[in-house]
Amino acid sequence: MASSQQSVIYPASTYTPAPAHRYNIGDRVRVKRAFPPGHQRTPHYIRGKQGMIERICGAFPNPEELAYGFDGKPEKTLYRVRFPQKHVWPHYAGPSHDVIEMEIFEHWLEPASHDDGATHGGSS
Amino acid sequence: MTDTPLNKGPHDIGGEPAGPIDTIDHGMKFWERQANALRSVAQANKITSTDELRRAAEDLGDKYRDLQYFEITTSALRTVLLEKGIVTEQELSKKMAEIRARFNVPDEMESPLKKKAST
Amino acid sequence: MNDPKFDYYARKNPEHEHDHAHDDHAPVNEHDHGPPSEYEILSRAMQELLEQKNLITAEQVRKRMELFEEEFPYRGSQVIARAWVDPAFKQRLLADGRAACAEMGTVLEAERLIAVENTSEVHNVIVCTLCSCYPRALLGMPPTWYKSRNYRSRVVFEPRTVLKEFGTVLPDQVTVRVHDSNADMRYVVIPMRPQGTDGWSEEQLATLLTRDTLVGVTVPHVPA
Repeated sequence: MASSQQSVIYPASTYTPAPAHRYNIGDRVRVKRAFPPGHQRTPHYIRGKQGMIERICGAFPNPEELAYGFDGKPEKTLYRVRFPQKHVWPHYAGPSHDVIEMEIFEHWLEPASHDDGATHGGSS
Repeated sequence: MTDTPLNKGPHDIGGEPAGPIDTIDHGMKFWERQANALRSVAQANKITSTDELRRAAEDLGDKYRDLQYFEITTSALRTVLLEKGIVTEQELSKKMAEIRARFNVPDEMESPLKKKAST
Repeated sequence: MNDPKFDYYARKNPEHEHDHAHDDHAPVNEHDHGPPSEYEILSRAMQELLEQKNLITAEQVRKRMELFEEEFPYRGSQVIARAWVDPAFKQRLLADGRAACAEMGTVLEAERLIAVENTSEVHNVIVCTLCSCYPRALLGMPPTWYKSRNYRSRVVFEPRTVLKEFGTVLPDQVTVRVHDSNADMRYVVIPMRPQGTDGWSEEQLATLLTRDTLVGVTVPHVPA
């Protein structure tokens, strides 16, 4: 009976260290309004939107490069970012305290001002 | 103001209007379970990666909207295996003909996939 | 397999087990009705070619199918039932999903799990808008609705309406927290433990934790 060639060591924790992280939990950030070609994991609907760092997930190889067979190094810090739904969707019908959260890589983020986070221009 | 979304892949659908959800789980057919296992083993054996497979799926363009989930994932695996030179179009086409014969599928069943494989 | 009542948590009948150690190329007992589609043929062709090139084995594929069928779907309910009975474990699960699962001997392979907790103030629901990322090693394969365009596109902008389609109605004072599982993390919901379950064993509690409750589209309830 065949078995895998090597026994795999799986990571012990969900998270990895991210010593070079630029942002901290609670920081206000904005997702870049950028539209590069190719593979990204930043959905269009969140681009340009402002949110808050909810947690630091760690440093991971860049999927935008892994997708084409490159090693994705140096690793990029990945954050979970929380966005008020009312600031993501112009016609959000639910209450103002509803939120949406997702993982955004550091290179897709920029610091946001201390305004109320209203969307700028149209949503993408 | 409506902007044409720039470089938005067919997979990037969060926020698009869509119809009611069929909330019943229709499970997986045998071939889908096998295709899923194949994809999983291919990744575990480092033949390909989740990221490559996702990207290959996204590059299906308009086809993406017409295909079912495991048709997409199977097409994506094919793309990656061809790209990496792990299999050739000729090998695939020959093997598919073999399998078709095994299942006694008539040769008259011309499919877009088969046509593409023979070009 | 188009049975609308198909229940992932029902153990398969032992009489369906079979031994295909030597003849995985033309499985006689396991096939779908009707002629194979081009995609099925393509998938089988790729599998056989990879086997012939010694890049995979038929056994690896068979074992993987077995794990997805017999093992993965049952883990999530066990982990969450443990969280219900053991508050300290729940905190560890919330702090680090992988590590907590590993405590129970549940190795999630490469998946990085984040558990999110429903309370009287917050209701969580999971989606992957970009593809269908899902904690497969904890919950098995995602249901067809999770992979559907309609769920993926709508739950992010009208979660309450989508939840209603699943029969789940949330009052306005409860915050709905949608998680788009778009990068390296995978998610599971810790539902609120229903009333009337005092003194239940973990095994009994696990029966309330259907897959839909762990994705957040329904809430567990004690059957009447």
